Amino acid sequence: MATSNPTGAALALWNPGADEHDPISARTYGFWLYLIGDALLFCSLFASYAVLDNPVNAAGGPLTAQVINTPHGLWQTFIILASVLAYSLGTVSLKNGNAAGVQLGILAALLLGGAFLYISGTDLWALAAQGNGPTRSAFLSVFFTLLLTHGLHMLFGILWMLVMLVQVGVLGFTKDVVGRLLNLRLFWQFQATMWVCVYFYVYLLGGAR
Amino acid sequence: MNPPKQRRASLLLKPLLALPALLLSGCTMAGIRLFHPAGLVAGAEMHYTLILVITMLIIIVPTLLMTIIFPLRYHHSRNAKYTPDWHFSLTIELLAWGIPFAIVAFLCYLTIQGVYAVNPWAPGILANAPGARQPPINVEVIATDWQWVFVYPDQGIATIDDLVVPSGRVVHLQMTATSNMNGFYIPQVAPMVDAMPAMESRDAFELDQPATYTGFSTDFSGAGFSWMQFSTRVVPQAEFDSWVASVQANPNQLTYAAFQKIAQPTVNAGAKPAYFSAPDKNLFGEVMTAAMQGVVYPVPDSFTKRVSDNSAQGAQAPASPQ
Amino acid sequence: MQVAVDGPWSPLLGRLSLAAIPYDNPILVSTFAVVALLGIVIIGAALYFGKLGYIWREWLTTVDHKKIGVMYIILGLVMLFRGFMDGAMMRTQQLLADGPNSPGYLGAQHGYLPPYHFDQIYTAHGTLMLFFAATPLVAGLGNLIVPLQIGARDMAFPYLNATSLWLTVSGAALCMISLFVGEFSNATWVGLMPFSEMPTNPGVGVDYWMWAFQLSSIGTTFNAINMIATIVKMRAPGMRWFRMPVYCWSSLTTNIIGLSIFPVVTVALTMLGIDRYFGTHFFTAGYGGNFMLYVNLFWIWGHPEVYFLMLPAFGLFSEIVPTFSNKALFGYPTMVAASFSIGGIGWVVWAHHFFTMGMGPELNGYFSAATMLVGIPTGVKAFNWLFTMYRGRITYATPMLWALIGLVLLLIGGLTGMMLSASVFDYTVHNSLFVVAHFHCMVLVIGAALFAGVTYWWPKVFGFKLDERNGQMYFWTFVLASLLVFVPLFYLGFAGVTRRLDYIYNPALKPLLWVSEGGIGMYFVSLFYFGKMLYVSLRDQIPAQADAWGTGRTLEWLTHTPVPFYNFAVTPQINARDELAWRKAKGVEGVQPTHYVPIHLPSNTAVPVIIGALATVFGFAMTWRIWWLSIASLLAIIIVVIIRSFDKNEGYVLSAEDIAKMENQVALASIIAEQPKRPALAQVEAH
Repeated sequence: MATSNPTGAALALWNPGADEHDPISARTYGFWLYLIGDALLFCSLFASYAVLDNPVNAAGGPLTAQVINTPHGLWQTFIILASVLAYSLGTVSLKNGNAAGVQLGILAALLLGGAFLYISGTDLWALAAQGNGPTRSAFLSVFFTLLLTHGLHMLFGILWMLVMLVQVGVLGFTKDVVGRLLNLRLFWQFQATMWVCVYFYVYLLGGAR
Repeated sequence: MNPPKQRRASLLLKPLLALPALLLSGCTMAGIRLFHPAGLVAGAEMHYTLILVITMLIIIVPTLLMTIIFPLRYHHSRNAKYTPDWHFSLTIELLAWGIPFAIVAFLCYLTIQGVYAVNPWAPGILANAPGARQPPINVEVIATDWQWVFVYPDQGIATIDDLVVPSGRVVHLQMTATSNMNGFYIPQVAPMVDAMPAMESRDAFELDQPATYTGFSTDFSGAGFSWMQFSTRVVPQAEFDSWVASVQANPNQLTYAAFQKIAQPTVNAGAKPAYFSAPDKNLFGEVMTAAMQGVVYPVPDSFTKRVSDNSAQGAQAPASPQ
Repeated sequence: MQVAVDGPWSPLLGRLSLAAIPYDNPILVSTFAVVALLGIVIIGAALYFGKLGYIWREWLTTVDHKKIGVMYIILGLVMLFRGFMDGAMMRTQQLLADGPNSPGYLGAQHGYLPPYHFDQIYTAHGTLMLFFAATPLVAGLGNLIVPLQIGARDMAFPYLNATSLWLTVSGAALCMISLFVGEFSNATWVGLMPFSEMPTNPGVGVDYWMWAFQLSSIGTTFNAINMIATIVKMRAPGMRWFRMPVYCWSSLTTNIIGLSIFPVVTVALTMLGIDRYFGTHFFTAGYGGNFMLYVNLFWIWGHPEVYFLMLPAFGLFSEIVPTFSNKALFGYPTMVAASFSIGGIGWVVWAHHFFTMGMGPELNGYFSAATMLVGIPTGVKAFNWLFTMYRGRITYATPMLWALIGLVLLLIGGLTGMMLSASVFDYTVHNSLFVVAHFHCMVLVIGAALFAGVTYWWPKVFGFKLDERNGQMYFWTFVLASLLVFVPLFYLGFAGVTRRLDYIYNPALKPLLWVSEGGIGMYFVSLFYFGKMLYVSLRDQIPAQADAWGTGRTLEWLTHTPVPFYNFAVTPQINARDELAWRKAKGVEGVQPTHYVPIHLPSNTAVPVIIGALATVFGFAMTWRIWWLSIASLLAIIIVVIIRSFDKNEGYVLSAEDIAKMENQVALASIIAEQPKRPALAQVEAH
């Protein structure tokens, strides 16, 4: 709105209606910020892993090469990438406003995530059953913590997917629901990226040592 | 590193060194005087500290003066020159960044030089010290909760809370701890270095004059931490030799089993010393290994209520956490 | 899952039993009596005046950034008082327990506090002052002012904002509960390793500390995300980056730091938690544990945390000095650059906190040099403030006095900080009272800035100024007290007095300890003036102008005083860096908008305060190892969040007529006024 000041020049002082910000854009931006924080959490874990992946810190116990299941790791990587692909295909349906398509994509992503967690869980359980549990040495402590932190992220993502399955059905594509679906896609890709880092750093580099 | 040159610099700074010393000699309240360094290492610390402070004062003093003068000079009641829109000057900004930068660059150079000079692992300043021509005195320091055990592997003796060294010899200390981290420190003599369980750290010093100092722990380690003083006695070589002989004749022997009793949490108020002959040859290594295997000496509940002298001496055997 | 827990444990109550209540300790019993009495008085008064519903509707469930800011500040001030009482007890203990012949009282060998109690007090002092006094005060002022300065309606995520507050409160609540149920950590606020591990510290104290710290740091991380998003996304039209007030810049840098460091300490604390609850070996001395890892992770967080608190303080000075010099801030671009330099350098200097842990001269040399670099941008800031005053028209209002003493303290703290950054000097005073005196100088800079900020913006929030006369008495007594307490500590540090000593063996230091104790007495005098200042200001309530100090330059002084809950009736168009100063120059500062458009605002919600309460229960249950309760409260938090996500409430709309009415009678829109119930959007649409 332009106002005349005493000297007569037109000045823009007020801007009615300018406070309507795009809520999805702000939320996605905020979620990116959260992901930065989460990435730093993984950074700290990787740094700790690098420090403790050392014969001294194994306290006579096994090191990376003896505790990883490399073929399983490869399969898990394929599964997790397939899961991300499934979710992304689901979001293609989001563009068309196809609720069933979105739900199908989420369901596929969810089941693949579950399969990943099942393999991871059984492997870690078997390792602990051999007497190489997280209390065996500092190295095993960080090994389990890194893998379980990623697993916890997946579990959280799966819980989120369950909620979204219901919300897409019950609430439909409201602004909130669409914002959540987009953020969940970011989150699911983020945890997959973290797994790729784990796979590269622990399974490939660690296994090669 | 060029130690002789540094000593010349020290000489130049003698009057400056004397300034705080003068200030402090007047007040007798301090039993420990950082401004009265003993030995080359502490002298170098003092030397670098003074140059650093004086350099920093170049910038601190004028700024402080401006902080006092500007608010007084430009108070609204003074009607001094007023330029409400003047908000940038490239010259001033260049100076504001440039002067601190130049001073910090000089300080960085000095401090890195100083770090090498007093590096506790191998102090550069001791490389050409008079005592460096003779073999060093080796002492193994084990910090327990809450006493200091000094083992002299070459002499075959050990003490509690009493560090005795000959004057004019470089002393090499190897340090570790039983359960908790402690800081080893003799203020006028040696840099502060932490003694840590399952790890080995080092310190070194050399003193020319016989004297007595008080050392203590600087890193909190539990209920008895405030009582962790130990005496540091610098004696002439002959006196040291006869002291060693007298301790060697002591019937108390420091086996690992005996050490485990000593290492039980104990408050040794007043730093009452104890002496042992024939310490276990590998005591230091055994303490390190035990810590790596998870042995800790738990603190009995009695310490949570009231700390009294030696209340837990020999109370129980060490326990493992699992 | 529970590892080597001493003493009894039951499935129902975990480690909790009647023995956990320290009814045999006269100090704690009397503290409890005072706290309980205060609680009864406050709740009784609320009941008597029928304000309980008002407090719930308008404050506890609010999502308004200003109310959240005010509650942050109240939390900070209350915890500041408790932290100060801890400090007073510590100084008194050191005074009494000086020398082998010093007497003992209340069952202590020397002084009146046995080491175990003394250790908890200084641990609580550090923890409270940093996480529950300084951080909430900084976060509170940021919440209050940043949206106003950038012309926003609210923060980007109001609901998340309230959650941050209540998580911080839950951490503080855990600290308070630890006073009367069980014990607090005795392992120092930094959590010494391996001392904090289960074998050497089997009590619940470390768990209390860990969970209080953890909860508040999660709250702070959320707040950092919120502030960055607000500053990036919510600026009013025309507010380009380089028109933003310097306080907003410093908030941005500080929250970038916060977002980048708090995850690191979350990891460090989680590892400690896993060690303590599952028996792993991250930070134990044995089984390959590496407690140096903890020290590194902790200080990778801990040093930037110092700047996390310091940069907002610098930002506050950058607002206050120009206002009271009636002159534009000098060197705006280099101020911004200096903020980012300080933040950036802050990330790479952490190891100077443990020069004595046996790093080689290469590392010690690097960290010494890197630390000294911080002196450059800090010096630049000091010069810019000085040249803002140069050729200005200075008035000595209370905020300006705080800013000036802050500058002096910054010089002293900076000098001693530069000394400490040289590891060659650090070898002689590390962990001594010299270090304590240095960082108290620095936190007093933060304290001065916060008192300045609270005094400066008080009229904007409440509509009347704080009493100047008593405010200045408070200022002078506070400054005198600070000098008396901390100047002797510098010398005591030189004299070789270590930190955290329950007993000082050298009786010759008595005179200096007395001086320091005198300062504590002076602090009580200043506390009296603080109370009197609040009393007189609340009694008189002299109305303040929109531009309360007459020389304000930034946007927040454009809107009404007291600020309406919707901030600006119409979003302002930004034309210059100091928008209000620009409008004054054009003679249009009084021009009001001619017509209003409806404003969309978020509805209040009880979810954040419920999450906070459940988080407190969770922390308490984990501390006492009451597993069923921990699982139940964690599940409850998840369920509450999920239920809330199904809520269709999209806020409410303030009609143009409503706004016009409140614009004519500002008191109706004040944040302390009770608002009529306005129907939510979903309900409106349903009709």
